[in-house]
Amino acid sequence: MSIAGEALKQLRRRPCTIRYPVEKAKVPNGFRGMPVWDMQKCILCVLCQNACPPGAIRLIGKGPDAEIEYLLDRCIFCEECAEVCPKRAIAMSHRFELAGFDRSKMAFRFRKDRQVQGQHDAPKTSDSTGKG
Amino acid sequence: MGYASTVKMPFGPQHPALKEPEHFLFELDGDTVVGVTPRIGYVHRGIEKALELSTYGHGLYLAERICGICTVAHTCCYTQAIEELMGIEVPPRAKYIRTIMSELERLHSHSLWVGLVAHEAGFDTLFMYAWRDREAILSLFQEITGGRVLHAINTLGGVRRDISPELADKIRCTMEYFEGRVKDYRRIIRTEPTFLKRTRDVGVLKPSDAAKLDAVGPTLRGSGIKEDVRRDDPYIAYDEMPFNVISSDGCDVFARTEVRVEEMMESIGIIRYALDRMPAGVFRVRAPRNAPAGECVSRVEAPRGEDMHFARSDGTAKPERYKVRAPTLANIPALCRMLVGIHVADIPIILAGIDPCFSCMDRMVVVRGGRASGTLQSKRDV
Amino acid sequence: MVTYEVLQLIVFPGALFAICLAFLYEWVDRKLFARVQGRYGPLYTGPAGIMQPVADFLKLLSKEDIVPRACDANLFFAVPVMYATLPLATLFMMPIAAPEALIAFDGDLIFILFAFGMMTLIIFLAGWSSASRFSAIGSVRSALQMLSYEIPLGLVLVCPAIAAKSLSVSGIVQWQAANATLGAALQPIGLAVTMVCLLAELELVPFDIPEAETEIVAGWRTEFTGWRLALFRLGRDLEVLLVAALVASLYLGGAQPLWLIPATAMFVVKTAAVVMVFSFVRALFARLRIDQMISGMWKYLLPIAALQVVLVQIGVGV
Repeated sequence: MSIAGEALKQLRRRPCTIRYPVEKAKVPNGFRGMPVWDMQKCILCVLCQNACPPGAIRLIGKGPDAEIEYLLDRCIFCEECAEVCPKRAIAMSHRFELAGFDRSKMAFRFRKDRQVQGQHDAPKTSDSTGKG
Repeated sequence: MGYASTVKMPFGPQHPALKEPEHFLFELDGDTVVGVTPRIGYVHRGIEKALELSTYGHGLYLAERICGICTVAHTCCYTQAIEELMGIEVPPRAKYIRTIMSELERLHSHSLWVGLVAHEAGFDTLFMYAWRDREAILSLFQEITGGRVLHAINTLGGVRRDISPELADKIRCTMEYFEGRVKDYRRIIRTEPTFLKRTRDVGVLKPSDAAKLDAVGPTLRGSGIKEDVRRDDPYIAYDEMPFNVISSDGCDVFARTEVRVEEMMESIGIIRYALDRMPAGVFRVRAPRNAPAGECVSRVEAPRGEDMHFARSDGTAKPERYKVRAPTLANIPALCRMLVGIHVADIPIILAGIDPCFSCMDRMVVVRGGRASGTLQSKRDV
Repeated sequence: MVTYEVLQLIVFPGALFAICLAFLYEWVDRKLFARVQGRYGPLYTGPAGIMQPVADFLKLLSKEDIVPRACDANLFFAVPVMYATLPLATLFMMPIAAPEALIAFDGDLIFILFAFGMMTLIIFLAGWSSASRFSAIGSVRSALQMLSYEIPLGLVLVCPAIAAKSLSVSGIVQWQAANATLGAALQPIGLAVTMVCLLAELELVPFDIPEAETEIVAGWRTEFTGWRLALFRLGRDLEVLLVAALVASLYLGGAQPLWLIPATAMFVVKTAAVVMVFSFVRALFARLRIDQMISGMWKYLLPIAALQVVLVQIGVGV
């Protein structure tokens, strides 16, 4: 019975859970969500590839065709890539709803010559072509 | 007579009371347990081998994933071992930040445990309240490190993010709130008669048994033995922190609950002290890529008990041998002693009483079994 | 005339009304229990999730029906049907729309007590027929539990009957209406004992020992799936309604009109209040162990129940 007081108090308060799919949780600044490449800044130095513990980042192709491939399904969101980048071209976005059923949709490619402006917070899939 | 007088009842690997797959075969005489055979090793993940295959910098993230709840403890232990091998000294500010993170983790792990043990006792409301209040710590983690569960804050040579004065104020604020909540738990746990009935004199582990069977952490301290790595072998900034090692003479599940709740109060004190006296300066130094040949054992008091890592390097960028002894494994022999002579209804609450984390420990037993003696390791063998 | 009576039995205040009310009370219980714990509870099915129990029921009906090979097939089939129909049939003896129940005879209180005993027997058979360790432990615990609460419950339920000089629930309601009194005011000890015993009858915390999730999975219900589980859930909801109706009728005046408020509305309000008390109380405790529960019931509850009988006999609270 010793919890009764707290229980009565809680009845008058709002529930502490949120109505998730309708109401989204707010994430603070510095949250480590899905990393996004700013291809205007990127110099394709592959430091991020070497720093990535699970090997989720790869440089594909050579010269003007070079692309950065990022595998969401391997990523552990450790921020090592963003930390090591000499040009600060990688930012950890606030996106956290990253689960999916199809692994083939979790490979993103970032290309140097097909950049779109203002990609810091919300990466669009139009920029990152899904790999089959 | 004439028939077998005992019944064998399996418990796990899939069971609502166990959140992880582990198997216990109980021998029952009516409603009383007369024997128990643990079968561990269901969640072997090969993490030690993976650690030996990855560089020191990458291995850190594997060490972080040994246990989801004690990530800071495991990374502390890992960085401590590797830093000693590499011969780098961590800046004092980083040591304080690591201490604060370790204690925050203790708060979140213990409040999680209070909820779990309440759930095992059918006290779902306390379970919900404990987890509701734990949310405050998790959002604090999210602000400090950017991750709710895997913080990725410890790194070789220090920490990756600083605690700014504004953040420190926020932590103080949360501690203020949390202290009130912990006091409330303490009151509820001590006065709720149904909870007392379920935990008092349940799962008794005598002090002599606890010492002989090498129990660790709150399980050991719940049997009245004051042993805490933070005090006995201070690491990071614990030698500068004033705190009491909590113990209780009850030797039962209730004593373990009390030890954990009191430890939460001590943790709040440590966090406040560390925030007030945080030294200025850098919080990270560069770590070399390779470590000179050598061996090192590192011990850390994880929320569940003593965590021990062993590393041997051969001068390359990868450890030659890495070994982890998670606290749950050390508590298994003591757990089997506690489980004999009890009612069937008390099995879940006693199992939960040691705060088991089977996936932390399983990797280790299987690796040992494959390579060497194949028996359970005790603290003295390591 | 006959069609009117059949309509009464089937639609209002008979089976259909009872089932709807039972589903509504499951929602009330879940919602309140969740709010006590700081959660929302059912949210998306219908306004504020009010249709969630119905949706759960329909979903379970469509689920795969698994019959264990070792089970007693006939019993395994019959038990869910019995579990759902027995409380429904007993509800006809509860005054819902008027102070007079659909079926009222002198002695229906005894039949209701007998129905409670039968419910436990059905639970025991359910566990027995499914031939599983968890079910067996659950059903034995259920039977043991019945041994402890049945006697105090029988003792205190007799007290309103003694006071009203009628062994019929309708008679007791009419007596309360005639004397403008409430059983709760006259026999508060009896009300308290009844509530405790009925918590045990409904297998709610702290007496959810037969279906203790963390100990024995779902207890006696472990092996039931699909429509069988749906019927068990319906039966449980009807049992909650039956228990709430019993408390409301014996102690809170039951279905008697108040000024302009019709009897049915009074009945709904009173039973809802009882359900809310149940779901609030079940949030406050940890689960007891079966031996602790039995010894507690015999040591404390039985003397208190006996005291209530003595008080009624010497003329207090009549």
